[in-house]
Amino acid sequence: MRRVLTLAGIGVAGALALVWVLGGFDALGRMATEAQRAMQAPLAGAVRAVQAGEPAAWVGLMVVCFGYGVVHAAGPGHGKFVIGGYGVARRVPMLRLSVVALAASLAQAAVAVGLVYAGVLLLGWGRERMVGLAEGALAVVSWAAIGGIGLWLVWRGGRGLWRQRAEGQDPDDHAHRGHHPHGEDCGCGHAHAPSAAQLAEAQGWRDTLALIGGVAVRPCSGALFLLILTFQMGIGAAGVAGAFAMGLGVAVVTVGVAVLAVWSREGALAGIGEARVWRVLPVLEIAGGLVIAAFAAGMIRALW
Amino acid sequence: MRLAWAMAGLVALAGPAGAHPHVFMETGLEVIRDAEGRAVSLRVTWSYDPFFSLVLITERGLDPDGDGRLTPEETAALQGFDMNWDPGFPGDTYAFAGEVPVALSGPRDGVARYEGGRIVSSHIRDLDWPVAGLLVVKNYDPTYYTEYTIREVLAEGCTKEIIAPDLTAAEMALQAELAKIPADVDVEMGFPEVGEVFAQEVRVICAAS
Repeated sequence: MRRVLTLAGIGVAGALALVWVLGGFDALGRMATEAQRAMQAPLAGAVRAVQAGEPAAWVGLMVVCFGYGVVHAAGPGHGKFVIGGYGVARRVPMLRLSVVALAASLAQAAVAVGLVYAGVLLLGWGRERMVGLAEGALAVVSWAAIGGIGLWLVWRGGRGLWRQRAEGQDPDDHAHRGHHPHGEDCGCGHAHAPSAAQLAEAQGWRDTLALIGGVAVRPCSGALFLLILTFQMGIGAAGVAGAFAMGLGVAVVTVGVAVLAVWSREGALAGIGEARVWRVLPVLEIAGGLVIAAFAAGMIRALW
Repeated sequence: MRLAWAMAGLVALAGPAGAHPHVFMETGLEVIRDAEGRAVSLRVTWSYDPFFSLVLITERGLDPDGDGRLTPEETAALQGFDMNWDPGFPGDTYAFAGEVPVALSGPRDGVARYEGGRIVSSHIRDLDWPVAGLLVVKNYDPTYYTEYTIREVLAEGCTKEIIAPDLTAAEMALQAELAKIPADVDVEMGFPEVGEVFAQEVRVICAAS
């Protein structure tokens, strides 16, 4: 059953590729833009209702903010891009990547709260300055971090290829004399270093933090607007709760992207056959890393 | 490597600049003509979305009772709020005589009001020279932070149409741009500017009067 489910990932990958070729993601982006536009009036209404002290207004605001998060995450964005790309490029477990996606969305909301309250309380900044920082310097930092994750994948994939070649040419040398260098991600199971599993775990955590940080450092403008507006109206707590509700809404989409990415990758790998998977993995890692790094470079250039 | 760049470019097509908008405007355009029927000015009217309108109104301390109406004094205080443009800011409005770009003056005669929970702000831009025949106008933010939708075009005595962006054509344009880049050139240096192809296009043809 489990194998059937995994193999169905080939279908998922194929369906995603087909949707992409047929321009389905453009259509999705346009629908998301329509939905985003349609959210602006209910959001304004929900904030006014809280300000006016209407009953159940908080519930209404949380629902609208959650929906705002979903439709904004459905449009193009840096979080989905890096989480999806990483999920395809690296053999990360589905649960871990899903947790990363959720944590990144909530951390992004926390960064928005931190930026706005540091801005208004400590620095006396106005909206334009905060949004300018988020859309300017922080966007560059975020894309630089994402590009760095891409290069890190390329580097690791390259080392994996190099190691395969070394091992393939002289297996005896590898097994008995160990002349190849022992890097931190050597993963070849010698006992004189931390175990491969320990190393993978440490790397997993480092990657996890890099992914969360790269996504979260750039807060969403919508959350900034809401936080500044509610602070000025004297209903700041509602704004903070709303920002996290937006984060949960975003997470619905990014977790979905994480699941689809891992499922497609595992399906494709299962189709190739386990025996050949270890040969393909570094190539996948390099290709995925290159796309991530190239796209991030393009974005930074566009922002400069 | 080229393939990776091409893929990166195509990924970018998921949305201009990989961004999604946070401010939504509805645009009305009016073509103002001279005695000979040539287009000389554009009146651009922007209707800000209700949420961003609320942000703008609140941060100016206007409409404190939240009834969605401003007093005459408050309306006076709102005037010119979006008219302080940095020098060289194109104002997100672009005009062409056929294919030839026509420079636009800075904004003049700005008027703003607040009605139905939305700020409606209009201003006039003068064309660098009077345009007879086909006038093309686009209204877009190259960074796609603000999304503009042209809802209405006024041009008395002229034929006019609003052409929706054709994303398939936009895709082909980007692919063509990528194909033009020689293999030995770092693609990053020549990353094509394609945001504009995602914008609506208004085509107005005025007969001489």
